[in-house]
Amino acid sequence: MDAHKEHIKLMHKYLDGDLTKEEELVLSKHLEECEACQKHFHELNRTIALIQSTEQIAAPLHFTENVMKSLPKEKKRMKVIR
Amino acid sequence: MEHIVKERIKQVKKGDQSAYREIVELYQNKIYQHCYRMLGNVHEAEDIAQEAFIRAYVNIDSFDERRKFSSWLYRIATNLSIDRIRKRKPDYFLDAEVKGTDGLDMYSQMAASDRTPAEELESNELQRYIHKEISELPPKYRSIIVLRYLEEFSLQEISEILDIPIGTVKTRIHRGREALRKRLRHV
Repeated sequence: MDAHKEHIKLMHKYLDGDLTKEEELVLSKHLEECEACQKHFHELNRTIALIQSTEQIAAPLHFTENVMKSLPKEKKRMKVIR
Repeated sequence: MEHIVKERIKQVKKGDQSAYREIVELYQNKIYQHCYRMLGNVHEAEDIAQEAFIRAYVNIDSFDERRKFSSWLYRIATNLSIDRIRKRKPDYFLDAEVKGTDGLDMYSQMAASDRTPAEELESNELQRYIHKEISELPPKYRSIIVLRYLEEFSLQEISEILDIPIGTVKTRIHRGREALRKRLRHV
């Protein structure tokens, strides 16, 4: 269990681009031997791919207009005071 | 783009309110989308995204021009979203119907694509499910997952946006990924 825990840590370091050359070797060697970790690693990568597959949505119509209408008017006065 | 933004901010700081319009236009989709991903609901997303732009305007004098405006804006939007989540009544649903649209939820409002209706349906179902799982993550993990994987900020940028140490960003992104892995592994 603890061995897995250490390797899972390495997987996350890998995903953050923080893995050293040595750690990379340790991880890839372990992945070849350990089916549970292989599965875990695959699931992590797949999770990221799934999150990234979600579509983009745009702001509703008149969004900018509504913001501009809601702005307080004070700013102009401040200019005069300055 | 950052150059135009800097110019407009200077104008706004001098009291030219109309210069703010371009800033809102430039960032509206990003900020709205961020709020939507944080909140999982179009009404709240619109509400909070608007509020974020208004807050930024009101507090523009406290914005340090040596920093990135977009990071500052994202921070305001993230904090407002988290506040809203905390104040929320427990009975909020992701696929709340859009008022007056007779059973349509926000997935039906998303841009149409080239897929066949069957593919569209399947993809919408999956998207809905993924979105639901993201929006059920605790807000402090959710914000980082969204910023990292949907808005593609680096860990360093996320640390600046949220004003938390990079070590904390890493801890949270690890936990967020593990939580989502458990939720999405059967998909």
